[in-house]
Amino acid sequence: MSYTELTVWTRGIIMDKEGRDIVNSISASARLEGKYAQAMENYVDNPDRTNCPTRKYCRVSDGVIENALTYENEQPNIVVLVEGTMVKGWDYMRGMPPGGTLVINTHYTPEYMIRFVPGAERLAQLVCVDAAHLADHKWLYYRLGELGLDRLSTEGAAERNKSVAPDIAAPLIAAVVKTTGIVKMETIEPMIANKKAFEMALHELHVMSLNPVAV
Amino acid sequence: MAMLADVKKRTVRINGCVASAQAAKYADVDVIAAYPIRPYTATMMALAQMVANGELDAEYIVADSEHSQLSIAHGAASSGARVFTGSSGVGVQFAYELYSPISGSRMPVQMMIADRTLDPPGDFGSEHTDALSTRDMGWLMGWSCDAQEAFDNHLIAYRIGEDPRVLLPQMVCQDGFFVSHITGDVELPDTGQVKEFLPPYKHPYPLDPRHPVSHGPQIMPEQGPPLQLERARAMEESMAVIEEVHDEFAKIFGRRYDPWIEEFMTDDAEVVFFLQGAHAVTARYAIQHMRDRGLKVGMVRLRTIRPYPTDRVKDVLSKFKVVGVIETNMGIGGVSSGGVLYAEVVAALYESQKRPLVLSFMAGMGGEAIVLKEFYWMTEKMMDVQKRGKIEKRTHWVGFEE
Repeated sequence: MSYTELTVWTRGIIMDKEGRDIVNSISASARLEGKYAQAMENYVDNPDRTNCPTRKYCRVSDGVIENALTYENEQPNIVVLVEGTMVKGWDYMRGMPPGGTLVINTHYTPEYMIRFVPGAERLAQLVCVDAAHLADHKWLYYRLGELGLDRLSTEGAAERNKSVAPDIAAPLIAAVVKTTGIVKMETIEPMIANKKAFEMALHELHVMSLNPVAV
Repeated sequence: MAMLADVKKRTVRINGCVASAQAAKYADVDVIAAYPIRPYTATMMALAQMVANGELDAEYIVADSEHSQLSIAHGAASSGARVFTGSSGVGVQFAYELYSPISGSRMPVQMMIADRTLDPPGDFGSEHTDALSTRDMGWLMGWSCDAQEAFDNHLIAYRIGEDPRVLLPQMVCQDGFFVSHITGDVELPDTGQVKEFLPPYKHPYPLDPRHPVSHGPQIMPEQGPPLQLERARAMEESMAVIEEVHDEFAKIFGRRYDPWIEEFMTDDAEVVFFLQGAHAVTARYAIQHMRDRGLKVGMVRLRTIRPYPTDRVKDVLSKFKVVGVIETNMGIGGVSSGGVLYAEVVAALYESQKRPLVLSFMAGMGGEAIVLKEFYWMTEKMMDVQKRGKIEKRTHWVGFEE
């Protein structure tokens, strides 16, 4: 039986929707493919605060998910860092079994980024994608006119923008799906709002293949 | 019966908090009294959005505390409004003063409880102590184990509470996180179905300047007993109404719930878990795995704790050799020195000719998820008691013993 855990690390409020969009769209696609899937937010990270690290989880399985009530992904096979500087300071690799995938939103190369990754020897691949650039992301800090609108805590899913992955989530989803095959490309593609960034990312991934070892 | 395709179209994937908000919308509530506390907050936020979007026409009042929240609910219900409110954990406690007056004045206020552990130490996780500590205040009370059941229980509870034979407030409880923040498939009904099931609410004596009435006046001690007796009778007599309403719900919506308890793999079971709420989900998997190994284990899940189905609990549990009560609540210094559910179970069994041995398991405390291997551990304890034929240790703190 195949069982995959995906954990997304993101920044509270300013990039929280991106994290949510990644786990929700992948879990919804998996269900469309007839698999069992679950997406949830880390219960203790919420209500989120601006910039604080928050985690989102997705579980995809061929069989019924029996640990549906556990709070956290204890053995993430795939980890996504929605914001590049998160590569330092948190043990996002904790529990990853050998052979995992780490996806980072960064303009740096995997060769440069790997030095910051704790427990990188468990990775089968390190994937870097310049999601912010591909999605033409205007950092919310500078969008002063809209700042007030987007600064909503996620408790209760108060979202103004109902579209899925209109921004940096799109290239990140493309990176995860292309490098791990967690769901089929044709299932998830129709859900994505920012199709341009999604398509571009498929051709602009920087993948570093590694030989994972058990720790 | 709706066609399968229609049902699929109306099935949404939402968590328990949003399911509760949806239920309030379908019930077309008149007044919402809100005050944020996790995990209930997600329900009030979802309702605020519905009101802002024009999907729901209701007075949305944000109170300055849970005490005010329930006071607003009381006042609004007294004027004849259908009221929806809710809280969690210490918030439920802060409103405590209002529970008896609301049920005493027979106002069918509905309160959604998404359980949260009481302080200390400020833990978000689900423990049933918040709602259970108010269990004798004259409110109808029961737990759901998933988002669909939470949605359904809200509609069912309004219908029961607003029945002129009952007129009692209702606490519709769900576990924080395990139900409130985990998404599940919820089939949303047609508004026509809900209209048929839940007619508009009409209080017999609302506060109305054109037809003056008194509510809650100061009384003499000798006037107290009849009031208390009436409230107790309303609770007792609600039992027949509860069964009626569940039948009607099944007819209209096609989902049948036993109003009192769910039995899972109990036909030939010798040892059973007795619990409330979401841990039933994991318990079912654990039981299936143990059945594969040939163990005769089952589960009895209590769906309604107020009114308490004493005779039903007695009859059902008398079939087994050992009952393991999974508490998820604190009853420090109580009968079992564990949780309060044990006392309810043992009291119901006292008059039985064939009493099973009863253990109290302190599991899921602080909102910790009860995992499969803990269910296996508890089953071993129960089977050990079955073999010995007596109890040497009444209460077990799961995770703290060998």
